Amino acid sequence: MSFWEKLSKIDRRFIYFTLFLAVTIPLIFPFNLRPKPMPPVQKLYNYIDTISQDKTLVVSVDYTPDTEPELHPMSIALLRHAFARHIKVGVLTLQLLGLGLAQDALATVTHEFNSRAQTNSDSIIYGRDYVFWGWQTPVLVPILGMGENIVGVFPVDYYGNRTDTLPIMKHLKNYNDVAILVSISGSAIPFYYITYAQTSFGLKIGAGSTAVQAADFYPYLNSGQVTGMMSGMKGGAEYEEMVASKLGVPGRRKATEAMSSQTVSHIWIMILIIFGNIGYFALRRRKK
Amino acid sequence: MTHNPWIWISAILTLGIFSFLYKENPFYRICEHLFIGIANGYSITFTWHRILMPTLIDPVSHGHRLWLIIFAIIGALYFTRFIPKISWLVRIPIAVVMGYGAGASIPRGIDASIVEQVRATVVTKSTFASVYNGIWALVILIGVLATISYFFFSRERKGILKPLSYTGIIFIMVGFGASFGYTVMARISLLIGRLTFLLRDWLGIIH
Repeated sequence: MSFWEKLSKIDRRFIYFTLFLAVTIPLIFPFNLRPKPMPPVQKLYNYIDTISQDKTLVVSVDYTPDTEPELHPMSIALLRHAFARHIKVGVLTLQLLGLGLAQDALATVTHEFNSRAQTNSDSIIYGRDYVFWGWQTPVLVPILGMGENIVGVFPVDYYGNRTDTLPIMKHLKNYNDVAILVSISGSAIPFYYITYAQTSFGLKIGAGSTAVQAADFYPYLNSGQVTGMMSGMKGGAEYEEMVASKLGVPGRRKATEAMSSQTVSHIWIMILIIFGNIGYFALRRRKK
Repeated sequence: MTHNPWIWISAILTLGIFSFLYKENPFYRICEHLFIGIANGYSITFTWHRILMPTLIDPVSHGHRLWLIIFAIIGALYFTRFIPKISWLVRIPIAVVMGYGAGASIPRGIDASIVEQVRATVVTKSTFASVYNGIWALVILIGVLATISYFFFSRERKGILKPLSYTGIIFIMVGFGASFGYTVMARISLLIGRLTFLLRDWLGIIH
């Protein structure tokens, strides 16, 4: 049996094991990588960076725990950016299992800021600086309804407070008061925002997508229907890098930490693909 | 290694799901069914307390917005599926949802996915304000025309259609390659996330 024949009959579990090593070893012994922001991420950052005090950033946490490693760093980086710039934030989710993740992102970032705060104005206060509306279903109802009246869609927030009693809601009536809505999702929800909120109300849409979906969003980025986007864990790492380097906001950067592991595993997969293809053609030539 | 019991449970369930990589086994099945059960239970409870209570039951029980009862009855007709004699009534809520969905999505869908995309593909003089952008706009235009021509099945591929459709294949293959690359990146990211949890939160090997 030749080398290529042996290679073609290799147990797939051996490949799983080598991939496990390619991911694990760089996690234990990482090397320093600084992700360079790509234009779509840069555009999103620049737009959010220039939001005026009277407008709000809305973050739609539309992912579930299965895509948490890719998308959660994006939510955290966006919230850090907004709070560092004193931009008011509204958070919602159109995925029920996203509630816990949205709550976790808000708790993490508000704790980071409040533990460093010296005065009341430095602090991030619920109802004044941000609001967590919670979940509403089906998706068309909140997406179209928020264009008319946000309080009507979310009469109570996630914590059970009446939203019309919150100070932040006095100047946040509908999409006219929203600078941009960033939908972070592993599903088709950003498309719903593009189709309904962007087309009907002219709302600016940002997208945070899993890498699997990223290619689907580029046409919308090219047409200007999406203002900017982060794709996959790398997109999250790029945004984290900008928030840390440009604003000096400290905090754990989960996506950036994973980049050395991702790089090594990608190189290993490329080697496997190249070997697989050479083996395929070598065996085919022998059969002829 | 952590003493937090929740992290232990989470780690054991993660290993249970990973065990599928070796082969299908009862441990994996238990973890899978546990996830589905918990997700459904959470969904039903939350929908009752946070959606139906504040938007329907509370206002109606206080005598406000009584017209909501009509929609509640229409919605409740979904449950008639369980009663064979009147199961035909389920068509009413389905018709309402389909009618609303189609009416809301067709005009906006055409606008968002066809009109705007065609507009973005059109190359004008202003596209070449920047040479770099102009070149990419041309590549997009050629890619769109070539790919559409590949799916043009009502004529034999002869004349201009032949090279154009072959060019379309190249664009389609590049698209597939990009999607596959992104898929690899996504799957590895998820593996990294779980392994980070096991190595950091559970075992405490990395900091």
